[in-house]
Amino acid sequence: MSERKGAYGAKSASDTSFRKTWDREEYAAKAAERDQKAKEEGKARHEAAAAGKKYIRRASTPEDAKDTEARKARLNVADQVGKTQLVAAGAGQGKRGKSAGFYCDACDLTFKDNLQFVEHLNSRQHLVATGESGEVRRATLDEVKERFEYLKRKREEEKARETVDLGTRIQVAAEQAEREREEKRRKRNEKRRKTKDGKGVEEIKVENDGIIC
Amino acid sequence: MAHQADAKRALDERGYQGVLIRGDNPLKLFEKPVRDRIVDSYYWKEQCFGLNAATLLDRAVELSFIGGTYGIAQKPTPFLCLAFKLLQITPDREIILYYLEHAGDEFKYLRALAAFYIRLAWEKDEEVYTTLEPYLADFRKLKRRTRESWTLTHMDEFIDDLLVKNRVCATTLPKINPRTFLEDEGKLEERVSPLGEELDELDRDDDDEGERSEGEVEELEVNGNGHQDSDSRRSAEDDEMNDAD
Ligand SMILES: [Zn+2]
Repeated sequence: MSERKGAYGAKSASDTSFRKTWDREEYAAKAAERDQKAKEEGKARHEAAAAGKKYIRRASTPEDAKDTEARKARLNVADQVGKTQLVAAGAGQGKRGKSAGFYCDACDLTFKDNLQFVEHLNSRQHLVATGESGEVRRATLDEVKERFEYLKRKREEEKARETVDLGTRIQVAAEQAEREREEKRRKRNEKRRKTKDGKGVEEIKVENDGIIC
Repeated sequence: MAHQADAKRALDERGYQGVLIRGDNPLKLFEKPVRDRIVDSYYWKEQCFGLNAATLLDRAVELSFIGGTYGIAQKPTPFLCLAFKLLQITPDREIILYYLEHAGDEFKYLRALAAFYIRLAWEKDEEVYTTLEPYLADFRKLKRRTRESWTLTHMDEFIDDLLVKNRVCATTLPKINPRTFLEDEGKLEERVSPLGEELDELDRDDDDEGERSEGEVEELEVNGNGHQDSDSRRSAEDDEMNDAD
């Protein structure tokens, strides 16, 4: 044996060097993504403050850390729909690290489908990792009332927005229809005014209350 | 005070220590196969985890139909899952009444949910009647998912179902004494239908005009329990589905 060769005949033995670089890139990308998220949240917070409002991360719950709370929104499953992802065989119970599928930041685990993911989020393992008790504080009547008023307001706002939208749509449609009518009128008139010798519309003037001379 | 985020512990037969309803674990008001289907459902796992009586409203206001289970797999409806959640967290009575009375004006499916819960969980028959009967005057439409399709019903019909039927939304309702029995026992006053005046008016109109069709009158007849007889509005086919769902 003369000298060690890389798998592809490279002179240098470090055939894993490219891989290290790749890892570094991936981590850099991950970090950038995290920064981006933080930046976005910061921006939202700032904008809310500028508008004189309190920034609430997601609409539903007061910011208690310890108690387990309900999910604030539907899990974003739609993002994954229609994407083909390669998933390692037997990745059923969650795979360490971030890869294709549903990723849990707190536990650094990836799940191959949303059901396994949600089951994980409900699991003791995950609750411990996120410092939650798995216990839910009972709501008082006042909290229920407050929540109801909030939801009622929210629905009214949505309705109002829809009405505005509808109003705008009607207006736009009306303007569009008006333009179309005008165009038709123009064409009709042009046709009507076209003389037999084909000299066209410019020779005919409309004067004196529409009497054609 | 707290409760668990899910129903695992509450469903553990080996030592239930929570609130008792009718002397037993309230979750057992749903039959075992239905319970299993609920806790296996994605809606339960994703949307019902960690709810309390306040955050449950977020889900309840999104409800767009009532029903029990549907499809070949007998999937539980969100309505049924939320009812199960209510049985798990057994909110204070005043909260349930707030759902029913105040919040229910705004969100009709929340009223239906609260009514269903009351019928299941409240132990005094006379209170069930007096609390639910006012909503026999709520004629808002409700969509109902049946095993194989959809039907249209109304709040008053749904309330009536709760008071006179044995099975509603895939659930065998706890036994309740008929209204007439409770009246005889002196536990309930005779119910004055809010339609009473209208009925009288209708009678007068009849006398005056003498040409009202039978069908219209029939709709407003009052059955033995003092409830508006809503069955006449419903098709036989629908009844069949009610048993199936
Ligand atoms: Zn996790």
